[in-house]
Amino acid sequence: MATVVDSIAPVRSRRTGVRVTATVTGIVGALLAVIAGSLFDVRPPDAYGLCMACHARDLVDWTVNAAAGTRLTVAPASLVFPVLTPIGVLLGALLAARTSGEFRWQHPEHPLKTFLYGVVVMNCALLAGGCSIRLLLRTAAGETLGLIGFGALAAGVIVATQWLRWRAAR
Amino acid sequence: MTAAVATLVAGVVLGYLGQRSRMCFVGGIRDFMLVRDGYLLRGLAAFGLTAWLAFPLVAAIGGAGVGPFGTPDVVTAALAVLGGFGVGYVSTLANGCPFRQHVLAAQGVVSSAAYLAGFFAGAVVFHLWAAPLLLRLLP
Repeated sequence: MATVVDSIAPVRSRRTGVRVTATVTGIVGALLAVIAGSLFDVRPPDAYGLCMACHARDLVDWTVNAAAGTRLTVAPASLVFPVLTPIGVLLGALLAARTSGEFRWQHPEHPLKTFLYGVVVMNCALLAGGCSIRLLLRTAAGETLGLIGFGALAAGVIVATQWLRWRAAR
Repeated sequence: MTAAVATLVAGVVLGYLGQRSRMCFVGGIRDFMLVRDGYLLRGLAAFGLTAWLAFPLVAAIGGAGVGPFGTPDVVTAALAVLGGFGVGYVSTLANGCPFRQHVLAAQGVVSSAAYLAGFFAGAVVFHLWAAPLLLRLLP
């Protein structure tokens, strides 16, 4: 459970670096998502401004299509050139980790296990039409299907947390 | 091309903020249940509320509006429930939402980098095998 404790530890880092709360990140993230979707052509589909799963799918499928001549699905927003959210997030987080001295190599879990988690989460996210971020974004946009997906996501988190707690108590 | 540049810039900003704040979109519910810590949950609520307010505001200043959204049919809704539950359940086991996994991978967590490899491979798996199989099975 060390990784869980590590990830839920509050932001009281002794290291230097800019301090940002999750609330600020939520507000800025939502503004960027809405502005990108509505003003900067990250659409259609609607409420597509920010999604880690769909945007990663667009980037990967577009690249595979270009390299291998396949016809894997990409969203209309990414037909000409793919959205680059995953690369941006990786670069931004790398910059933050480097400048704050928090970058270090770690191996908390077996990579094969987390690889499989990644495959399953991507497939489930594409089935639901978005990762946790876009399901919330679609809910905020007023889409019933987004609300259904986000409700199911919350239920999934609750069941998994109960299961983790039950396993830790044994 | 506009979309590519916009998402790259938004991604860099969010990645930076996400690393500094440890933001996670499934961690809020998990932490609140486990240790009654509302730090990440406030971030989740802030995202939802801000987006809810920003959609009509941006449309009012000339941005493209969203919707109207039709009523979903039963099969699509069932798939959304199945997919949403799977994302929530497995993301909790994997110790973070896809956004958090990107941030962790960028700060040197090798298992999160492996997660991302699976995540990207999963997109090809879905469109090559999972989606055609579903289309064959579903009414």
